[in-house]
Amino acid sequence: MDLSPREAVPTAQGRKRKRPWLAISVLVVVFVAGGLMVAKFLTSAVDYYCNVDEIGTKSGCDVGRNIRIQGTVQAGSVEKASSGATSFVIEYHGVSMPVQVGSEPSGIFKECIPVVVRGRVAEDATGKVFEGDEVIVKHDNSYDAENKDRVEQANAEAAQCSQKG
Amino acid sequence: MPDLSPVSIARPTGTRFSRVLGIASLVGIAWLVVFGLFLSPNDATQKAGVRILYIHVPSAWLAYLAFIVTGVSSAAYLFKRTRSLTWDRIAGASAEVGVLFMGVTLVSGSLWGRISWGIFWTWDSRLTTTAFLFVTYIGYLAVRGLGGTHQQRARRSAIIALLATLEVPLVHFSVKWWRPLHQQESVAEGKLDGLMLFTLFVGIIAFTLLYVWLVLHRQRVLAMEDALDDQGLDVALAERRAEGAQV
Amino acid sequence: MLASMSVSEQTPYVIVSYVVTLGGIAVFAWRMLARARKIAPQVREEDRPWT
Repeated sequence: MDLSPREAVPTAQGRKRKRPWLAISVLVVVFVAGGLMVAKFLTSAVDYYCNVDEIGTKSGCDVGRNIRIQGTVQAGSVEKASSGATSFVIEYHGVSMPVQVGSEPSGIFKECIPVVVRGRVAEDATGKVFEGDEVIVKHDNSYDAENKDRVEQANAEAAQCSQKG
Repeated sequence: MPDLSPVSIARPTGTRFSRVLGIASLVGIAWLVVFGLFLSPNDATQKAGVRILYIHVPSAWLAYLAFIVTGVSSAAYLFKRTRSLTWDRIAGASAEVGVLFMGVTLVSGSLWGRISWGIFWTWDSRLTTTAFLFVTYIGYLAVRGLGGTHQQRARRSAIIALLATLEVPLVHFSVKWWRPLHQQESVAEGKLDGLMLFTLFVGIIAFTLLYVWLVLHRQRVLAMEDALDDQGLDVALAERRAEGAQV
Repeated sequence: MLASMSVSEQTPYVIVSYVVTLGGIAVFAWRMLARARKIAPQVREEDRPWT
């Protein structure tokens, strides 16, 4: 490939014969979209991100505030009502928190899986409950072949789950 | 030596090297499909969903690489001793391919998100910064189309490209600065099962070959378009006449 | 359909992601080559130094 400077004098009027308004309107859309993204990110992703054991102890993870909470779904805790409302318990570092959501979580939601729930902590006479708006399954970054050492894996998962509980 | 035989016009941007590269890319993609969809195992948790990894990760990596190439080529254009419109065209071609790869990364990622997290999209740090990068480079391509001389185009877009390159590390570190939903990279930490890792490796090779092939050809098409501009209005008219005759 | 990939509710998502990714790239490549073929006859030989 010839990379030596070839053109000493400015060349052709390029795309001038094409109407630049197409490029200009694309630029306008780009600026609007970019602005919307930043706004959306600042309003939603900035919901403070707390682990279960940080509720009430870490600043920002206060009762009543919109936060995202992370923990693992406790074995045997998932209960689904006929209306679709689902309740379960999540835990992290030995601390647990009951969660109530209005609809059935989708994705690969199941027991003993890490989840992120968006919502807020409510407190009444019986204790703290997390009122969730959205449950997102947080899959970790390890992948393993299905059926490979299935028993071993199930055992490990169960051990991990009960150990925390 | 160059000839204007029908063969060379049929493949106006092809050379022996690019043809070999093109065939290698096709073979790589075929391998990727065979390993990705058929030979590799399902994931224990994600089941078939893990198969999206083999196209999602390579297209994302190559999109980043493409934007870095755009940045480096733009710097080479701005640097007086290496100034050549060829660098500008490589920058433009690489950005186009980068936008294409980033676009398909966003689509495959949201499909993966739907079956893994349960949602198509969330304003997570990794997702938001990636979408922002995508939109930025669409803006860069629009700036290239604003008109003026080729030198004006090259200078203007090179400055934009250098600014945009600053976003690439932002995306990379976004997963470390904020706690995101998006998983961290699995490859470096060896968290992929053997055949899965191999399939991902096949994907990265295939997409790398494809990237080089696409940029090589696109850059030559851009060179022909610039040459046409230089030839002036006569040719434009002739082209329009030829178009009219074809229809 | 396949030995290792049992058909599940995830299968359509996987298939669509492959079709969009590879199809998108194919469309880009095809349009690029078509454009090259269209303008090549008007470009002088010396402006195509790779040939």
